[in-house]
Amino acid sequence: MKISVKLIATYRELLPPGTQGNKIEIDVPKGTKISDVMMQFNVPQDDSSVIVVNGLTVPLSTVLVEGDEVAAFSAIAGG
Amino acid sequence: MNGWHGRILRVDLTNSKISMEDVDPKIARDYLGGRGWAIRYLTDEVDPMVEPLDPENKLIFATGPLTATSAPTGNRYMVVTKSPLTGALAHSNSGGDFPTWMKRTGFDLFIFEGKAEKPVYLWVNEDEVEIRSAEHLWGQDVPSTTDALLAETSAKAKVACIGPAGENLVLMAAIMNDKDRAAARSGVGAVMGSKNLKGVVAYGRKNPVFAEEKKMRELSIKIAKEVGADMLAGSSLREYGTAYVPQVTNSLGILPTRNWQEGTFEGVDTIDGPTLTEKYLIKPKPCYRCPIACGRLTEVPDGPYAGKGEGPEYETISSFGSGCGVDNLAAVTKANYWCNELGLDTISTGMTIAVAMEMVEKGYLSEEKIGQPLRFGDPDAMIDMVQKMAYREGFGDELAEGSYRFADKYGHPELAVTTRKQEFPGYDPRGSQGMGLLYATSNKGASHMEGDVAYEEVFGVPVKEDPHSTDGKAELVARFQNAFTLIDASGLCVFLAVRYVFSADRMIWPVRLSQLMEYTTGIAYTPAEVLEAADRVYTLERMFLLKAGSTEDTLPPRMLNEPLPDGPAKGQVNRLDDMLPEFYAERGWDENGWPTEEKLKELGL
Repeated sequence: MKISVKLIATYRELLPPGTQGNKIEIDVPKGTKISDVMMQFNVPQDDSSVIVVNGLTVPLSTVLVEGDEVAAFSAIAGG
Repeated sequence: MNGWHGRILRVDLTNSKISMEDVDPKIARDYLGGRGWAIRYLTDEVDPMVEPLDPENKLIFATGPLTATSAPTGNRYMVVTKSPLTGALAHSNSGGDFPTWMKRTGFDLFIFEGKAEKPVYLWVNEDEVEIRSAEHLWGQDVPSTTDALLAETSAKAKVACIGPAGENLVLMAAIMNDKDRAAARSGVGAVMGSKNLKGVVAYGRKNPVFAEEKKMRELSIKIAKEVGADMLAGSSLREYGTAYVPQVTNSLGILPTRNWQEGTFEGVDTIDGPTLTEKYLIKPKPCYRCPIACGRLTEVPDGPYAGKGEGPEYETISSFGSGCGVDNLAAVTKANYWCNELGLDTISTGMTIAVAMEMVEKGYLSEEKIGQPLRFGDPDAMIDMVQKMAYREGFGDELAEGSYRFADKYGHPELAVTTRKQEFPGYDPRGSQGMGLLYATSNKGASHMEGDVAYEEVFGVPVKEDPHSTDGKAELVARFQNAFTLIDASGLCVFLAVRYVFSADRMIWPVRLSQLMEYTTGIAYTPAEVLEAADRVYTLERMFLLKAGSTEDTLPPRMLNEPLPDGPAKGQVNRLDDMLPEFYAERGWDENGWPTEEKLKELGL
């Protein structure tokens, strides 16, 4: 199934070389969890990252479904 | 005194009289400095019912005990007065170089009172203080004024001044320092303009004396090394400035779009940090001695929006960009340059234009009446209106009153997204519940700088909170309000403070901040004591605005009754009523939001 991964600001560097912008669409097997995808992109899965699915805060063990968008960025003050 | 100089410079503009006075050590300790001292003096000396632009209002510049110290980012000052925009309290914060230069004059506070007969500026060279004519500078923009003042005084000095917007009493006029930094919010520039005070020039070599020099230096170095390591590891703030944030808020569906009608913007990719860095960034520009360097020195090299200056930051992008439906970063940057040069708050200016655009879109106001096109997504119309607002030219005169007064005049106050008549910063409270409670209860009207719980709801600092939940938000907002009050009183910058001088947990306990305060002042402050002092300051501010008649803690109807139509927060409104009673109890206020007798007594007020 297809999902998309958006890596924001400094996390853009974790996307494959040549990726346009900050988002990539990938194929994953059914049953894939958020944590599996984050591991694939070497996104730290601790308090140093903010990871959301479709803009919502959910546990990293959540199983993804077709069309989900996982977004991640480094936890740092802003605004 | 240590840390503080314990001295105030008082400038009576009506009588051209300058005096210097000492600060009572008990006030010094109990109110911490900066924002804390300023509200104490404002409360003691100004009737809360004063008309903000009358000579009886006072304008206070305030540094903190950590301003001009080795503490990283110890380079902030506050401007405190009664706001002409909100009718409540104004406390606006700025960095750059000026705050350190101001503190080195040997005074912690400058208090301006009365009104000069003709335009003047103040030149403070330690104890040599002069009120000089500024008639030749009236009407000039911020860069020209700054250059002229430095030429007339000393090239080594630093300048804070107003532009045409402040002179013209525009209600969102800023006080600019070092040309591009702004004490921006709540119309503090209009108060300065009402006093015929064009600028303040500061120079001195009176560094504050520290009680424990060695410990102060060691802790400062330790913090600076931690920040430095984080910056080397790759920091979004260093790489992109706060311009990285639109992607974050857009992902959460809380990026204000077309005057808060939507929470996601289709043009976000063209107005974000990487685009800014790639196309227009010359280099990051730090405030004095700041290891973070979130400031952006930029240049739009050619085309209709060519220019050079500082910015834009996130808030500017969310107001002039998504807020006005403009997906052209060069135009947003140009609007930012104009605001800096003319002396305007970018948040209120952009968001007020956005309201006018919605009035046109809905047919409530014709472009004939406005005298120019003003549609969402039209960058030229937007930039044109910025200039008209600063000069109160044509329809710009109407918008110079801020979005609430403007929308109310034309029969549609519901379109103004404000609290206490001040425009919201760029976090939609329908998808960030705690931010709604913060805006509703803020002492200065809608402001993220009053206790930015977006740190947790949006950015995950120090821990991530669910932005859609109201659980625990009353406590969280109260805690952040006190923490930010403490930071503002100390003279540090919030970007450093929350992460590096508080505990890295939900309690945000000011462990290192109280140490820095102790090493600087020699007073054995504990974390609990500095937080209690912050509570005292916050509560005294609250009393000032209540006595000024600003008693209603609420949000505009769009936030309470119109669900977000798109994005992750689709269908949601802000549930303020679920949080407000608990928040009042948390703060020790009664059911109407007034601090109880017990609370006032406990704080010695």
